[in-house]
Amino acid sequence: MPEVQPTRMELIKLRRRIRMAIRGHALLKMKRDGLIMEFRELLEEAKTVIGKMVENYKKAQQKLLIAMAVDGYTALRSIALACCQVQPSFTVKKKSIMGVVVPVIKREKVARKAVEKPYGILSTSIRVDEAVTAYEELVDSILEVAEIETTIRRLLEEIERTKRRVNALEYRVIPRMQELAKFIAFKLEEMDRENIIRLKKLKTKRMKK
Amino acid sequence: MISRTKAAYAYIVARTKVMKSKLLKPEDFRKLLNMGFDEIMRFLEETEYKKEIDEMAYKYTGPRLLDYALFTNLAKTYRKIYSVSFGDAKNLVGQYLRRWDVWNIINILRGKNANLPNDVIEETLVPAGEFSSDYIRTLINKDISEIVKELERTPYHDALSKIGSAPMNVVEDELWKTYYKTLLSIKASDFESRIFMNFVRMEIDLKNVKTLLRLKAEGATTEEIIARIIPGGYELTEDEARKLATMTFDEMVKAMEGFWFWKVSSISDLARTEIEFDKIWIEIIAKRASNYPLSILPVLQYIVLKKVEVDDLRILGWGKWYGLPNEEIERQMVIL
Repeated sequence: MPEVQPTRMELIKLRRRIRMAIRGHALLKMKRDGLIMEFRELLEEAKTVIGKMVENYKKAQQKLLIAMAVDGYTALRSIALACCQVQPSFTVKKKSIMGVVVPVIKREKVARKAVEKPYGILSTSIRVDEAVTAYEELVDSILEVAEIETTIRRLLEEIERTKRRVNALEYRVIPRMQELAKFIAFKLEEMDRENIIRLKKLKTKRMKK
Repeated sequence: MISRTKAAYAYIVARTKVMKSKLLKPEDFRKLLNMGFDEIMRFLEETEYKKEIDEMAYKYTGPRLLDYALFTNLAKTYRKIYSVSFGDAKNLVGQYLRRWDVWNIINILRGKNANLPNDVIEETLVPAGEFSSDYIRTLINKDISEIVKELERTPYHDALSKIGSAPMNVVEDELWKTYYKTLLSIKASDFESRIFMNFVRMEIDLKNVKTLLRLKAEGATTEEIIARIIPGGYELTEDEARKLATMTFDEMVKAMEGFWFWKVSSISDLARTEIEFDKIWIEIIAKRASNYPLSILPVLQYIVLKKVEVDDLRILGWGKWYGLPNEEIERQMVIL
């Protein structure tokens, strides 16, 4: 048993803490359930977004293969060199889901018109355009997946943390405090009983005199 | 008595005819379509490409080996045509093959802009034009400003001087425009030159129609389209192109129906339409070459056919290597 003064004041304080812990436990449970619900919804969205990314990847691969087959590896490589100089740009903002800070990736549209692409129109075929456009769409999808994946990872971490707190309160903190309160109450009753006996003994002694 | 010019053409045409006979036949391509990648390579080892495949095999494997072998063979073949030519024909062939100089300049600039090692840039080049392999290597060793300075006395300098002030796509398109402008500046005083000019103008038409369709489908503005039109077309002149560029896509397609190149069956798949244009082009050159057998046309026909063969073999190789279905591979090829 921890070293605690078995006083009435301590018992009152402890009971107050138990009440607070129980209320906190209920709130954390609600938060955990809320986060799980949010997580499930995001999971569905993630499935769609990842599915779209996989589709875009397959499409881009096929377009690249056809462009490589038609225009040649050499040409494609030199075009890739020109394209890789234009990095996709995006801004990362924050939003809160039940107190969990998650990123919101604002994508600047990567897909460009043929005249804005970093290679000449006259030296390339339309298959190159198709491959480049498909890869630009893929970059958009990857950024979308990155956003949702980070959100899911943060939510999972928070769910795990909340779950640990709920369990700690439910199986360790509250039972221990309740036990302690029971101990103090017992001690106080013991002390009361001791006092009564002491008083009874004093009374008997006085009566004998 | 045969004139000196006619005799020169007779000699060059005879040489290219021999070279043409070594080109793969459509039935060879049909046979190749049913083979696997390794079988195709084995087949090519028994053709003109053997030497290049053997030379490159220590460095590359798979379709990249095929790619480099094909491009090296293409460069070698074009240089051979140039070396066997003489007189006016040599000049015309040389001028036409300068397209590979443009190709090489563009690839060097792209490589330099991406800070790629020199050997990687060198892999992308096809020394089939006026610039020798050694000269191209000296260009690769320079930085962009030095390259621009080095090419000061070439027709490409005006386009290259725009580097820094204009985007690279504009510079690349300007280089191609310069190439065609230089070709069109050849004095077409004799019949042979006029035939050559018509050939170039028709090629410009094809380039322009592809640009028009591609940019119009992407929703580019009239000015954006016109900026990329090569002046000097055979039927599709700059004015015609401007007129077409102002129309909607459907109107434009309808308006093109009267042009010599408009024999395409569908425009729903623009990639397919481009292949159809190439087929039409080859058929027309073949017809014209047979009409003028002692002219530059049979030589140009061979130059085009050799490029088509290399392209088709590349499509076959890449398609087979990555397991594309035969129908898709055939769809992308220009089999006549």
